[in-house]
Amino acid sequence: MARSFFNGRSGSRRRSFRSPTEDSAALKLTLSAIAIAFVGVFLVLPLLVVFTEAFAGGWGHVWTTITAPDSLAAIKLSLTAAAIAVPLNTVFGIAAAWAIAKFAFPGKTFLVTLIDLPFSVSPVVAGLIYVLVFGMQGWLGPTLAGYDIRVLFALPGIVLATIFVTFPFVARELIPLMVDQGRDEEEAAVSLGANGFQTFLRVTLPNIKWGLLYGILLCNARALGEFGAVSVLSGHIRGETNTMPLHVQLLYENYDYVGAFAIAAILAMLALLTLAVKSFLEWRFADELAASHRH
Amino acid sequence: MSLVIDAITKKYGRFPALNGAGFTAPDGAFVALLGPSGSGKTTLLRILGGLEAPDSGTVRFADLNWLDMPARERRAGFVFQQYALFRHMTVAKNIAFGLEVRPRSERPARADIARRVEELLELVQLQDLGKRYPSQLSGGQRQRVALARALAIEPRMLLLDEPFGALDAKVRKELREWLRHIHDKAGVTSVFVTHDQEEAFAMADLVAVMNKGRIEQVGTPADVRREPKTAFVSDFLSN
Amino acid sequence: MSAPGLSLIARPRSVLPGFRLSMGFTLFYLASLVLIPLMALVLRPFELSFEDLWTAVTATRTLGALRLSFGTALAAALIDSVFGLIIAWVLVRYCFFGKGLLDALIDLPFALPTAVAGIALSTLYAPNGWIGAVFMEYGIRIAYTPWGVLVAMTFIALPFTVRTIQPVMAELRGDAEEAAATLGATRFQILSRVVLPALLPAILTGIALAFARAAGEYGSIIFIAGNLPNISEIAPLLIVIKLEQYDYAGAAAIGAMMLLASFIMLLALNALQSWASKRR
Repeated sequence: MARSFFNGRSGSRRRSFRSPTEDSAALKLTLSAIAIAFVGVFLVLPLLVVFTEAFAGGWGHVWTTITAPDSLAAIKLSLTAAAIAVPLNTVFGIAAAWAIAKFAFPGKTFLVTLIDLPFSVSPVVAGLIYVLVFGMQGWLGPTLAGYDIRVLFALPGIVLATIFVTFPFVARELIPLMVDQGRDEEEAAVSLGANGFQTFLRVTLPNIKWGLLYGILLCNARALGEFGAVSVLSGHIRGETNTMPLHVQLLYENYDYVGAFAIAAILAMLALLTLAVKSFLEWRFADELAASHRH
Repeated sequence: MSLVIDAITKKYGRFPALNGAGFTAPDGAFVALLGPSGSGKTTLLRILGGLEAPDSGTVRFADLNWLDMPARERRAGFVFQQYALFRHMTVAKNIAFGLEVRPRSERPARADIARRVEELLELVQLQDLGKRYPSQLSGGQRQRVALARALAIEPRMLLLDEPFGALDAKVRKELREWLRHIHDKAGVTSVFVTHDQEEAFAMADLVAVMNKGRIEQVGTPADVRREPKTAFVSDFLSN
Repeated sequence: MSAPGLSLIARPRSVLPGFRLSMGFTLFYLASLVLIPLMALVLRPFELSFEDLWTAVTATRTLGALRLSFGTALAAALIDSVFGLIIAWVLVRYCFFGKGLLDALIDLPFALPTAVAGIALSTLYAPNGWIGAVFMEYGIRIAYTPWGVLVAMTFIALPFTVRTIQPVMAELRGDAEEAAATLGATRFQILSRVVLPALLPAILTGIALAFARAAGEYGSIIFIAGNLPNISEIAPLLIVIKLEQYDYAGAAAIGAMMLLASFIMLLALNALQSWASKRR
């Protein structure tokens, strides 16, 4: 009946059809170009600069810088601070997530907000609060000095600052994840006779392992890279109380650009590694990571 | 003028969703596309609505080359299974949407739009709920808003994709009778997709039983029940 | 049978063990790490008389620093919201080779240590840097001026807008857009009346988060900023300077101001979230 006249045009009809939920080709091209250009200029170029400046003097110069005693001391200090802060914050993260996800109690929102606090506070303010407590004009400063305990301008201060700015990471990863997973499995384990630790180790931990790993990774990356808070507390004593980021600043301000970028390159590599592992974890274990990903 | 669908095929990759489907229905008919999931009934409905394009085949309706028109020109009201209401707009704004997006020359005056929204709210029995947001309504109420929204544009054709699928049995039954009543009042050609044969037979003038992308049989409910033409149809109906 | 004494026996919160232990440790950690030091910040400014406090806060230099930090942070947040929206749009809705890489790169400002970003940006936008040189041709200096601050803040805050909008956009159902099309809307009308309004809460939240982060940022800004009082000196730097001068009360005053701003921002965010959830 109506067949013959219209059949011939069906091919062209298919080519010009655009689903109502799709953008025009022109729009797609424009937006994609803008996105790529913006990311390229604002994000990729600075990253490239780090590496080109670091290797401007060749591999030799990079090696000498990194193995200089002050640099090695800075690296060692950063690693020490992270080695203390990350495990402590991991324990905290697990404890906080356990309490928040598996129990009901008043004031939960307030608690969660408190945990989020370091994210909304300037790192300088974070350092400042410890100065006010432990500095010579602070509450505890003079008392501790009496016992010959130095917090400021020494390792304890640096570790404290590092702990403060990184403690939310593990908790924030685990809380939505554990809330999402609910209590059923743990309750089943308990009814079967397991005690707290057994329940945690055998039931909870396997369920959260990828989220935990992810949180520890972020915590570690931030711990090694923290600048503002540590800067306020460290005293910038070359070779003694400079972490890697502070050492970068020192070298840069002393016009040793290649040196500064060499250390910076190490930190940048670490950042890229963190991103790579993050992408991999997200790709493989999408549903086992946090239910909602907010920074 | 009747709805003539002829030899529609559509493939997704290698999978043939529709394989030469077609039927004819008189103007103003209430047609049910009945079949199991995967039979292609939703795909056919979406093609009628302009949300997808077939690989080949034709549709003629109201003297128009239906498939040559983009969705926004067809005035085919579409009611989705999950309501697809605009959550950031009130009920009244949802219903008025189709009138407010018309080009200036065709857009009715504000007062006229408001009046029409009121009429439709009364038609779907949601008179006092104009200022509410969809999140404040029950499933059944939301679906009624979706229907009012589709009717607001005075559609040439009404397309409903398992509109009661997300609702519980009691609400489904009430809405069923009520939808048929609305259809009779509005007199608009309607195509209704369902996998529930009780629903199809209770509501439709014409039932098209679909299977694997083809229409196995088209007829009035009585005819189809009395004389199933293929083994599939008799099997499907006896369950 | 109800014995009065039974009601006094506390019902266990849950069958699961470890509440007291985990809660206790959590509270101890938070109290010693966060609450008590914060008290110091809040109480310290009050060592000064109200007059001195007022002078410290309203000193030209302080106001200049606060204006720069907050004003530029707002501008950076707005820029990032526009481009963040576009980037999220492209990541969620389009498919092309290398999209995964683009997605991973967005987190770079979040993962990169701020000092590294700082020296990299400073070198890049310096008068002889790759980008800085181009602008110098037109007589525009970026590094060591407030423009440098803007660039650094835009860099640091980008992930906050993209990652806030992205999941919301990914959750949007296509059927609302299809419904709008069947009702007669053009693509532009669909975008402006259906899609963007649905994204508005996420966009606003992203702006708030980006603003909060940019206002408090230190490491990535001080190298590119120039740090001239009243011109290109950010508030966190002023705090550091006052600390070096042993003006603890003055530093605390500015710190308290910034904390207050953070607090207000948190409240605004919470209000935004509850407004958004009402509309859903």
